[in-house]
Amino acid sequence: MRNWIASLGLALITMVLACPGMAEDQDLARVQVREPFLEWRSGPGRGYPVIHVSERGDWVELGIRKTQWLKLRDSKGREGWAHIDDVLLTHDATGNRVAFNEPRWDDMDSRRWELGLQYGQLDSTASNSVNGVYWMTDHLAVELSATQVLGALSETRLYNFNLTHQAFPTWRVAPFFTLGGGRVDVKPKATLVRYNNRSDDSVHAGVGVRIYVTDRYFVRMDLKDYKIFTDRASNEEVTEWKIGLSVFF
Amino acid sequence: MENRTQRILLTLLLLVSGGTTLAAERMLPLIPPDVKPEPVDESLIDTENFEFTAFAGLLSIEDFESSVLYGGRLTYHLSEDLFIEGSYGMAEGGKTSFEKLALAELISDSDRDYTYYSANVGWNVFPGEAFIGRRYAVNTNFYLTAGVGSTDFAGDSRFTVNFGAGFQALMFDFMALHFNVREHMFDIDVVGEKKTSINTEVSLGVSVFF
Repeated sequence: MRNWIASLGLALITMVLACPGMAEDQDLARVQVREPFLEWRSGPGRGYPVIHVSERGDWVELGIRKTQWLKLRDSKGREGWAHIDDVLLTHDATGNRVAFNEPRWDDMDSRRWELGLQYGQLDSTASNSVNGVYWMTDHLAVELSATQVLGALSETRLYNFNLTHQAFPTWRVAPFFTLGGGRVDVKPKATLVRYNNRSDDSVHAGVGVRIYVTDRYFVRMDLKDYKIFTDRASNEEVTEWKIGLSVFF
Repeated sequence: MENRTQRILLTLLLLVSGGTTLAAERMLPLIPPDVKPEPVDESLIDTENFEFTAFAGLLSIEDFESSVLYGGRLTYHLSEDLFIEGSYGMAEGGKTSFEKLALAELISDSDRDYTYYSANVGWNVFPGEAFIGRRYAVNTNFYLTAGVGSTDFAGDSRFTVNFGAGFQALMFDFMALHFNVREHMFDIDVVGEKKTSINTEVSLGVSVFF
């Protein structure tokens, strides 16, 4: 038992030591303060108190980054956090301003990927969906999405592949068109034993708008019209709307 | 005469200035250091905006007793204020009071497995600091979460709305502790009439940033 505890303890210690957050032997990112002062906070957020101030000419070392905040360390071993906007005003050893490439909404070259979560309704039934987008050009993107529709009588899952075109990539409110196809799986509720699971092909067309909020997130709204090819007498047609939050990288 | 004086002065000036440049050349180190100042860019910085949490706790399932709950959560921090997360949890429903009194079974044992997933948005409302003794201070966050998802229970997937609050203590830059209380609400018609089932989750978690 004691051996077992000892080996578990050893494993834990190795894990902690091997943790990337603890690694100290990275290339040093040292910068010099060029503004009159640089405020240090105790944590990565404006709600944390200011604990130290570096003067013009002081050198600080940059550590990890969390959201818009960078960890600082000075030669005396003090630690704190500074906002990226303040760090971008410092100079590195070459004498130039620190150059960080932030992904920007109006610069498609700096951002190619998007990930989003959406809530909506398919034929007046609540749905949840997740989507991933890759922009091949400033105007044209490929998308994969999965939607779960949870109705009173059945559960429907939609898996879609689509092409999206936007005419105005730099607009803060950017409309788009989308066209695609996929699979529709319908599973009736457990209490309805008369029906079997169904799986059908579908195509859809849609319009939408992406509304840039701030940082790297935006609101995305979709309106889609599906044509579902069933093996029954007639095909089905359903309408879906979705709204959600997306992030770009 | 004037020309000669001028010439002498100019020669002197030339000598003096030539001398100083020679002196400056002698000031240079014999072996110049082989270090080129490197520019600082984002490739040197390790970003830690993702957080994975493993949690365990209790889930009170309406009509079906309370159960041990465990699960995982993946969080992406959008900014210091906002984050999005995907959450997955597992529990097991017990018996309703009717089942115990009538010695009957409303649902099969396999249908008592309670699993949920949810996609949530979180808001760090109150960042702060907590003090452990005199020497140590840890950063903390009080946050609110809300989201939608699905619950698999009693044979069906049910559209579920959840909301709650949590407290995070950042023990290290790469690790935090979480305490969460969440309400999960979905419609169910297993025990007679259709009603909204409200299920309370209380959990403790450990998270790692990467």
